[in-house]
Amino acid sequence: MQLAMSRQRRKPRNPTATEDAIAGWIFIAPAIILVSVFVFWPIVQIFWLSFHEWSVITPEKPWVGLQNYRDFFHNPDFKLAFRNTLWYSIGVVPVQTFLGIFLAVLANQKIRGRGFFRTAFYFPSISSTVVIAVIFLWLYQQNGLINFVLRKIGFSPPQPPWLANPKGVIQMALDTVGIHHVNPWFAGPSVALLSIMMMAIWTSMGSYMVIFLAGLQDIPAEVYEAAALDGANARQQFFGITIPMLRPVIFFVVTLGFIGTFQVFDSIYIMAPGGAPAKTTLTLGYLVYQQGFQNFAMGYASAVAIVLFAIILAIYFVQRRIIGRGDQL
Amino acid sequence: MNHRSPFTTPFTRRGLLVSGAGLAAGVALTGGGALAGAQATPGASPASSPVATTSKVAERASGEVRVTGFWGEPELKQLEKVWAAFSEKYPNITVKAEPIPSDYLTKIQADIAAGNVADVFMVQNEYAQDFMSRNVLLSIDDYMSEDGISKDEFYKPLIDAYTWQDKLYGLPKDWSPIAMVYDPDAFEAAGAAVPTTWDELHDTLTKLKDNKGSVQFALDPQMARYVIWLFQAGGSLTNPEVTEIELNSDAAKTALNEMYGLYKDGLSTPSADIGAGWPGDAYGQGLTSVAFEGNWLFPALASDHPDRKYAVAELPAGPAGKGTPAFTTSYSIFAGSKNPDAAWVAVNFLTGPEGAKIASELGLAIPGRPDLEAGWLELFPERKPYIEAGTYATSVQYGPGGQKFQQDADAILQSLWAGQVEPDAAMQQIYDTAVSDITLTGQ
Repeated sequence: MQLAMSRQRRKPRNPTATEDAIAGWIFIAPAIILVSVFVFWPIVQIFWLSFHEWSVITPEKPWVGLQNYRDFFHNPDFKLAFRNTLWYSIGVVPVQTFLGIFLAVLANQKIRGRGFFRTAFYFPSISSTVVIAVIFLWLYQQNGLINFVLRKIGFSPPQPPWLANPKGVIQMALDTVGIHHVNPWFAGPSVALLSIMMMAIWTSMGSYMVIFLAGLQDIPAEVYEAAALDGANARQQFFGITIPMLRPVIFFVVTLGFIGTFQVFDSIYIMAPGGAPAKTTLTLGYLVYQQGFQNFAMGYASAVAIVLFAIILAIYFVQRRIIGRGDQL
Repeated sequence: MNHRSPFTTPFTRRGLLVSGAGLAAGVALTGGGALAGAQATPGASPASSPVATTSKVAERASGEVRVTGFWGEPELKQLEKVWAAFSEKYPNITVKAEPIPSDYLTKIQADIAAGNVADVFMVQNEYAQDFMSRNVLLSIDDYMSEDGISKDEFYKPLIDAYTWQDKLYGLPKDWSPIAMVYDPDAFEAAGAAVPTTWDELHDTLTKLKDNKGSVQFALDPQMARYVIWLFQAGGSLTNPEVTEIELNSDAAKTALNEMYGLYKDGLSTPSADIGAGWPGDAYGQGLTSVAFEGNWLFPALASDHPDRKYAVAELPAGPAGKGTPAFTTSYSIFAGSKNPDAAWVAVNFLTGPEGAKIASELGLAIPGRPDLEAGWLELFPERKPYIEAGTYATSVQYGPGGQKFQQDADAILQSLWAGQVEPDAAMQQIYDTAVSDITLTGQ
């Protein structure tokens, strides 16, 4: 009888630290296994593969050492892809970040229909990139909606039409003041690449708006009130309070932005396969696909992928220097 | 060259095969090399209706054969009749069709790498040599002699396309050259004649343009179309021994200047500029009156623009005579197939008189067998010029590395059209690209 009672009354002891740790590992084990098998292991393999040559359809993978990497310097395709990708990122990231902040500030105001606008701006981000790309493919046609609207308001659309136009936009601007044949590195993204960039900005600004909204709501209202009491106007509040307090979010968004834009593939594949026209839409991501699956050079494609990884990593560190993480995110 | 009627005596039909081989440098492109090789066996059956044979290999073959291809919906439906006929004839063998409707090349490469690609798969002429040079396909010469199938049962340029270092690696399922599709009403209204030379083409296009007020010929800057002018100027990609690239020849430059000249003179336009996806689309929409396209145009017209009138004529001839590229697809056997005997029986049936006949009734392309010509023409009499082009068509193959070359060359042509480079410089760049991208191993 005493024994039974003592068993009932015995309190469960607290788990030890070790038991906690073991439980923790067991819970995240499925995720770790999945990520390791489908993400980490392929990365290791790609790194290994970049030192070999492989045509995919034959099992032989002869060792070639650093040759794939050395080829970059001789290969015009790589330089072209790097240049196009650079223009793409430089064009898209600042604009989508700025628009993200702008829309977030707007959507943070207490206006009617705020919920509708937030949804409308966010909607493209949750749609499939492929679907959006196909729709824009139609919009950008010679007789498509965009040209139709342009003609209606009195502008003449670019000739050849958007996605078929390889002229650099900076070159076109310089042409109007009489400077022709500038170095290709400074001719700017082609009209075709610009079309894809505009589509990318339109698609992504909504998701960055949502991230900035969350960041904005973290800023306590008292700070704004205090500033208003001190006589700060809206503009001073924006640049003096909002932006600095959003610094960690800006850092996060810009990092994500660069990572995403440097790897762009879906839209290129749908809207400008082959890097057409004249390889002005060939990006590093597309180059990997092209070399690996169309040109029977998977070893080389792996090397491009590793270099892409290195570039993105470098950009991350440079950014961290310049923007700084601010507080812990 | 006189136009040969397809309803010819067997001798002339054999002549058709031999003259196909005789046509200049282009044939060397295909890697077969043996210009003198196409002798029909004297005893070959000259019957105008195809003779069906039963495969001897089938006696020891059994089990499942997986077949894959990039068939579209209509072709898949038509193929069900082929599978039915096959199971009747060879009940020991089951065929499993696994279509890959898009990204075909990517998917089969992944499957080959994984070692589980289908036993029989379609191979297009563009990348056939990349596959053959890497021992991905099984050579079928032994099977052919066992079953008494002769190479002469097929058009020679097509057999050449799948021959590598004197071995055969696939049988052609169908093919199409490029011919001129035009609107007879537009021609009549403009008083234009069907052109037979380059100069007449200029005349005709000018008359059509003046009559309609806009450019009536859509032509995209692509290597796959440049070869039309290249062959017509007497040029070729390589020398007959396939050891040297010959894109720096005068004929090559002449061809490029002629093709680009049509654009510069305002007689041709890229399809994107007039709001079409490709020249066939431009023709179907009624935006143009002339298109240089293959058989693939007609099913597209039938489904998207069924009321569009058309007539077919051979392409105008160049300074070196007539020329046109031929595009073909084969059924080939995977070198690592676990059931090669049954795979061969399937390939044999699919490309034989029974299987190919059923498939060709769709009109998607021309059957690869001359003995099916007559029947096909009864179904599609207006497409006779395509058959006649068969006597001088050249299979388009660039050699291992050719895919990359085609992409690079297309990019150079696009920048030529955009005015970023001069024609002679462009030709030099194309030549340099060919030399660096293509690995010629000689034949």
